[in-house]
Amino acid sequence: MKNIRSGITFGIIGGLLTFLFGGWSVAVIGSLMGVGLGMGLSGKLERKNPLEIAKSVLPTALVAGAILVLLSLYQNNFVQEAIGKRPAVEKIVINANLIAFLGTVLFTTLLASLHGLPEKQEQRWKMILLGLLIIAFPFVDKLTALRWTAQIIFALIFVILGLGLNIVVGYAGLLDLGYAAFFAIGAYTTGILSSPQHGIFMNFWLVIWIAAGMAAIWGFMLGAPTLPLRGDYLAIVTLGFGEIVPVLFKNLIDVTIKEPLTCWILPGLFKLFGAKTTMACITLIEHEDLTAGEKGISPIGRPVIPFINYEFQSSNPIPWYFLIIAIILLSVFIIRRLRDSRLGRAWMAIREDELAAAQMGINPVRTKLAAFAMGATFSGFAGAFYASYIAGIFPSVFDFSASIIILCVVILGGIGNINGVIVGGLVIMTADRLFLPALKDFLASLLTHTVLPSISDPVMQLAVKDNANPILYRFLLFGLTLVIMMAVRPEGLLPNAQVRAELHPDETPVVEAETPKTNKAKKG
Amino acid sequence: MLELKDVHTYYGNIHALKGISLTVGDGEIVTLIGSNGAGKSTTLRTIQGLNKPKSGSVVFNGTELHKLPAHEISALGVAQSPEGRMIFPRMTVMENLEMGAYVRKDLTSLKDDLDHVFTLFPRLKERIGQKGGTLSGGEQQMLAMGRALMAKPKILLLDEPSMGLAPLLVELIFEIIKKLNEEGTTILLVEQNALMALSIADRGYVLQTGEVVLADQADKLMKNDMVQKTYLGVE
Repeated sequence: MKNIRSGITFGIIGGLLTFLFGGWSVAVIGSLMGVGLGMGLSGKLERKNPLEIAKSVLPTALVAGAILVLLSLYQNNFVQEAIGKRPAVEKIVINANLIAFLGTVLFTTLLASLHGLPEKQEQRWKMILLGLLIIAFPFVDKLTALRWTAQIIFALIFVILGLGLNIVVGYAGLLDLGYAAFFAIGAYTTGILSSPQHGIFMNFWLVIWIAAGMAAIWGFMLGAPTLPLRGDYLAIVTLGFGEIVPVLFKNLIDVTIKEPLTCWILPGLFKLFGAKTTMACITLIEHEDLTAGEKGISPIGRPVIPFINYEFQSSNPIPWYFLIIAIILLSVFIIRRLRDSRLGRAWMAIREDELAAAQMGINPVRTKLAAFAMGATFSGFAGAFYASYIAGIFPSVFDFSASIIILCVVILGGIGNINGVIVGGLVIMTADRLFLPALKDFLASLLTHTVLPSISDPVMQLAVKDNANPILYRFLLFGLTLVIMMAVRPEGLLPNAQVRAELHPDETPVVEAETPKTNKAKKG
Repeated sequence: MLELKDVHTYYGNIHALKGISLTVGDGEIVTLIGSNGAGKSTTLRTIQGLNKPKSGSVVFNGTELHKLPAHEISALGVAQSPEGRMIFPRMTVMENLEMGAYVRKDLTSLKDDLDHVFTLFPRLKERIGQKGGTLSGGEQQMLAMGRALMAKPKILLLDEPSMGLAPLLVELIFEIIKKLNEEGTTILLVEQNALMALSIADRGYVLQTGEVVLADQADKLMKNDMVQKTYLGVE
């Protein structure tokens, strides 16, 4: 019964989403919904024969699919008219809804029934299925002309940023409120090294590593003097750093670097002794426009695949999509290895209790520095990709709100959990990039065809039209989401086991697989 | 093995240790007793490097500890079971014990040492997958001691192992301390429970407001008038 209820919820949410996008979107939404529902259900079910599981979830899947299709048909026949658009061609409607229904039912039952396999196999099959879906997505997107891939790429950039920040905040427990600064450093390194700004055109595949390295070096430079600070004090310093960096990039438009000895120190000394000399001052850089200030660096070089000489185009998001997927896979691999390493354990010990960690023989400053530098490295990757993908960078992109959004990705997804951060990044950024703009268009056309004609006062009409724009309220909605999350599920969507244990001490403790059975006897 | 010479330690302006000198010989149990604020825990923190002495020296097997940071001192074989236990609350018992072995380079005997800790504290084995923070006070004390033992220390600093424990558990803990010592671990024990501490120790120091006021064999201290009156409650 509970399963049926989640089926109904999924169906309604999916159906309402079709209101915003229309057309073929129902097929994609149906398939994605099936995957989500199947994954969600499989966690709650008992492990038994796959066929039995399939049978037991089939009603749920059918209900979800039916609701989705019903809402989608309603959308096509009534809502489209209400917002002043013509219903889609009958052939498309039938096909799309058929695919949506089958996709929902198939993926829900398939993913849920995988739970009937032994755990290792279940994991492997789920990975294979997800991998296939990830590969298929941009092509399906292109076929159905939804144009979601370009926006999903933004979400994936924030996934990398979230993964990097998760090292600092989630693993080492250091609150970093200026993380976007490292993102900016990565992006500007790329911008300076491969743009007409300075006439340097370095290969993207080289620049991305330089950008990551630069970000790491700056992470190190910021960390070295400040990491002996703790808790709130560190957060304030990072906040300041996050403010300084974009301002710096905005103002590095007239850079002069002179060699100090011949320009100031020696003439100064001579002046001190009353001698009057003019020295040939060695100037390294004079009046150089490093970052182009407010108007930003543009265009920026794009990656070229060697041998076949294919240059990435901004009109075709598919190569970019696979590039960022590759970067994410690499990042996840590295971060997982780091987490399970000696260094990862040291981070966790520092997060738990810095003093006790020092007693265990962990060098606190060096360990925290490593967290800062590693975290910054990943934002360097993200920055390089971002600069190249957008082909232009502007200082205002990297302000405080960017740092906060990245922090929210980590908190919403589940602090300390890699999968959680990935989900958090996708949810926040798709909501921001896909959902809100679509909602804006939907509301605008809905109002134009319903409420607006009945308002006689033109000023009032304009006011209603302008204010019914959800993009204006994105930070409000964002804050509201966070408040609700903190009240209802403070550990995030997919929490880290340790955080969950802390926030819900009444639940039975999670027992690690390799440990023998715990004796649930009375406490001593 | 361990020698403190005229150690002065400050907390800001507060002069907490006013010239502490003491020695711990190889294989001994030495106890520091004294009332609240006498400087017992500060002495241990100074040895461990968590507080730096303003003057004086702490020498351990020829190395000057007061010049080293805390994490390097641990690596030399000084382990502490700190006051208030300071276990890692969100790590499991197993992970806590593993953290104890962080400084060790020889990982071959790790399994044996783990078994050794579990023979000393069978309770910990029962709770191996449980989070440290969900253990009871006594279990946390056992975990703190077990974690310190996992470092295979040359000297074990124990800060108030009996604090807040039921009398039965206190006895158990002291038996284990004695057993550890018999197995060859040197122990510096800080206690408020002077009777228990003196009964297992070889020698003892009495601390008052940051100074050593008495130093003697444990059995002689036990008979000392001042100690009896102040710390043992004998009228």
